[in-house]
Amino acid sequence: MSINIKIDDTNFEVEDNSLLIDILLKNDIKIPHFCYHEALGADGNCRMCMVEIAGQKRPQIACDTFAKEGMEVFTKTASIHAVRQDILELELINHPIDCPTCDQAGECKLQDYYMDYGFYESAINSSDKIKHEKHKDLGSNVILDQERCVLCARCTRFTTDITKTHELGIIGRGDEARVTTMPNKKLDNPYAMNIVDLCPVGALTSKDFRFSQRSWLLTSSPSVCHGCDKGCNIYIDHNKLKYQDAKIYRFKPRYNKNINGHFICDEGRLSYKELEENRQYNLLSDNKVISKNIAIETLNSKINSYKNNITILVDANLYNEELEAIKSYALSIGAKIFSPLSSYMDNAFGDDWLKSSMRASNAKGIKSLSINTEITEDYTTTGLLINFNHPNPDLLSYLELVEFKTHINNEKDKEENLNLIFPLAVSSESEGTLINKNNITQYCKKVINKNSPTPTALEWILDITGDIK
Amino acid sequence: MGQRIKTVPRYGNTLKEKLYLPAIYQGMKITFKHLAQNVSDSNAIDTLEYPEEQPTDITSRYRGLHRLTHREDNSIACVACFMCATACPSNCIFIEATPREDGQDEKMPSHFSIDTLECVFCGFCVEACPCDAIRMDTGIFSLTGNNREDFVLDKDKLLSHKGAFGEEKSLARK
Repeated sequence: MSINIKIDDTNFEVEDNSLLIDILLKNDIKIPHFCYHEALGADGNCRMCMVEIAGQKRPQIACDTFAKEGMEVFTKTASIHAVRQDILELELINHPIDCPTCDQAGECKLQDYYMDYGFYESAINSSDKIKHEKHKDLGSNVILDQERCVLCARCTRFTTDITKTHELGIIGRGDEARVTTMPNKKLDNPYAMNIVDLCPVGALTSKDFRFSQRSWLLTSSPSVCHGCDKGCNIYIDHNKLKYQDAKIYRFKPRYNKNINGHFICDEGRLSYKELEENRQYNLLSDNKVISKNIAIETLNSKINSYKNNITILVDANLYNEELEAIKSYALSIGAKIFSPLSSYMDNAFGDDWLKSSMRASNAKGIKSLSINTEITEDYTTTGLLINFNHPNPDLLSYLELVEFKTHINNEKDKEENLNLIFPLAVSSESEGTLINKNNITQYCKKVINKNSPTPTALEWILDITGDIK
Repeated sequence: MGQRIKTVPRYGNTLKEKLYLPAIYQGMKITFKHLAQNVSDSNAIDTLEYPEEQPTDITSRYRGLHRLTHREDNSIACVACFMCATACPSNCIFIEATPREDGQDEKMPSHFSIDTLECVFCGFCVEACPCDAIRMDTGIFSLTGNNREDFVLDKDKLLSHKGAFGEEKSLARK
């Protein structure tokens, strides 16, 4: 049932009994808040989201007020401004002046709200501020600074209500209140780093991202995590500094209510490193760098000599468009196409929330293109094996191997891999669609533009076949 | 190509101004007065015989080469907050941050360099610094080198520059 309410003299039609703060946030009406979070619900401890409601004596918190028919709400009056300023001043009494060294600077709610409602003359001498423990390593790549905390309890509610691991709590009273772990316990759960994003201030920061870049120098580009076939939505935070190459600094979760909500797992979050490390950049044959034309010639002559005895192996992390191009290429040279999915199964990884045991981001895409995924008799031996970045080419016995690969996989690769090797762009340097395990198709755009780009699978196919499909 | 004729209006409010000649006469009078003075007494000419003679009128507000200041205990004052690099209009400040281990603050630059060939000496970095860690009060107005790399001043070089006007330490944390 929908009802009518009035916010700052504008009429809104909203669901009955919906939270006022949800309505305000949904309609982009500025409402400062620390403790409320859509995934964690209302706690009502920070008192920052005060609004005036006609007929009520005192200001009310929007996160614990439900919309009622005919309600009149004011968010911009002078008295509300004064109330918010006073609450902010209380929050900042013991807050250290750490902004220059704090990683949260630039994306900190305290900074934002100070610019909106602050600008008061501080009544506190900075040497009188209460001291607490700084840069305390909580474990799981999270660093706690107790002085910066506003005690919104988002982190403790996350470990209590969502992961149900109960590592964090708030101890002490008044000025002594602070977030901490149980004695001799560490933060230890596979989703722990989400509390870094949840923290509205610089109290919880990521050990992995620590000091590596200021947040305002980063560009956030929407993408999808390639860690498993859940397809969690992420932001890739990257930049290209003067005289340097494009670099990824971190992944952050991107809200998608149908897939991952507000969160991602820690392993997915840290998987950005794989996009940079141990990359295959050179076009190699007999371990020597060769030119593109010679490589393509060599490949074509190999294809000619192994007519009707060729298998193409494809990685289940490639985009649908790339898979389709490889499939039609396979058809044109009379090769079998194959993608054994058993190589991607990791039962130790999966859980019943965001982590899936199928660690190939486009396993469903492979199936939708009816590429063979089972190891059957037809697919055990071949003359020439062309591997598009599948992790396990040794599942087949072959006479010769041509590899398109994104990474230098092991020591053997570095020293004596004599195969013909084409370098391949990683997911962030290519674009296309992925199908996740719930059959949701998602588009990933090309995020990283390297100074000397590595060709994508699509570009290689176009170069090799010489025609545009 | 056809000849193009542009008619120039005669400027000036009075007849004297419109004639132009009196103004030319005034100008030449000053020029020849200085010529006569300089020829008769060359020591009074207002120029410096640089580099034998060095300027003596550089004030504390003069924006010379940059320096990184020290704290009272002689450690680096910079906390690698990137304010200077962000404010820099020519993007010539390059910083890499690292955790600081000596118990003061948490962060310091592991690498800090200024490309003085790109620098426009606007002083925005000094204005932006919250820690009084970068200053341009060295009084150094000339930098020479044999190649481009010589003009990229690194952290050690910037720390070695001395303030020319008495204020040696950072005034940020007393």
